[in-house]
Amino acid sequence: MSLKDKYAIVGVGYTPQGKVPDRTSLSFHLEATANAIKDAGLKKEDIDGLIAYRHFPPCPGEPDVTPQHIAQHLGIEPSYLSQDAN
Amino acid sequence: MLDAGICNYVVITYGHSALWGGGMAQMLFQMTRNEAAFGHFGAVGGYALAARRAMHEFGTGPGTWQRIASGQRKWAALNPISVMGKKPLAEEDYFKAPMAADPFRLVDICLVSDGGRAIIVTSAERARDLRQPAVLISGMGQQNPSREIGQARYMAGPTGAKKAGKEALQMADVSLKDVDACQIYDCFSYTVEITLQDYGFFGPGEGGDWLKGGTIEPGGSMPVNTSGGQLSEAYFMGLTPIAEAVMQLRGQCGDRQLGPQTQTKPPEVILASDNGGILQSHACFVLKKG
Repeated sequence: MSLKDKYAIVGVGYTPQGKVPDRTSLSFHLEATANAIKDAGLKKEDIDGLIAYRHFPPCPGEPDVTPQHIAQHLGIEPSYLSQDAN
Repeated sequence: MLDAGICNYVVITYGHSALWGGGMAQMLFQMTRNEAAFGHFGAVGGYALAARRAMHEFGTGPGTWQRIASGQRKWAALNPISVMGKKPLAEEDYFKAPMAADPFRLVDICLVSDGGRAIIVTSAERARDLRQPAVLISGMGQQNPSREIGQARYMAGPTGAKKAGKEALQMADVSLKDVDACQIYDCFSYTVEITLQDYGFFGPGEGGDWLKGGTIEPGGSMPVNTSGGQLSEAYFMGLTPIAEAVMQLRGQCGDRQLGPQTQTKPPEVILASDNGGILQSHACFVLKKG
């Protein structure tokens, strides 16, 4: 069955952008996600699927960011976690 | 996951200390493989190769790409969070910019940005009860013709955009005539040209004429990359174009909002794209005001 008009984008989360010193990649994931949840008017507990979009090698001195990391730091337990490819 | 009923609200998130943390350099080092022996390092050399082939095959070139880079910079000037908005890019500024990887000047290449972006997807029914005006995913298409540019049969296109675009429009049951604006993945200025060409907005090599007179700029008939895009706003992969398409359809874009204040059509339907590798994978979305 066609997916036409069955799903919608209901939240968008931004962060500071450009050259932003002293921040980890994980911290940007957390801030963007928290802002998207707020924008949509949801609670973090509502999020039951989390997809980390694109996968890059870790920045020097940082651990690899995983969707599990992001979920744990947000304090949520999604039923579905996924890591996109590069 | 949503369709199977396993999830109700899916977040898609991106974050990268790409500039200050050196993350993008790590990614580009990883991309450098056997073709480095031929001068292809990272992504710039690969796209430059494809663009050079396109110059030979259908006669495009910097004259066309300048209209894209300068046009997007005009949108960036209306976006307070854009990285390049305060630096105008007139035609002469474009041609004075340093050559990075021939035929690309520095201003043909996207930004490297620290930051993140996230979106939340749910069912159209649930969307009606939420805070923001819903933006419907009306159609989508994906096409991944090769893994590496060296293995691509047609270096100058058609890229995956051709089939992905057709599928997305077909699913949404609309044609290009119904599209009010485009948010195109713009890792390079040339990527915008080849994507719009493969979607069918103009024939091969006709991009320069199509862009003439500010077609994609404020006041133009087909606004493209209205946040400034990845060339002039910030680079968050496909979430730069998708986020902007959503915000425009919600009518929350301030000074750059499509409609009477930018002498453009109030948007009902926006095409958005994502692209991976050196033009190897392509995703097209038709987003519609709910």
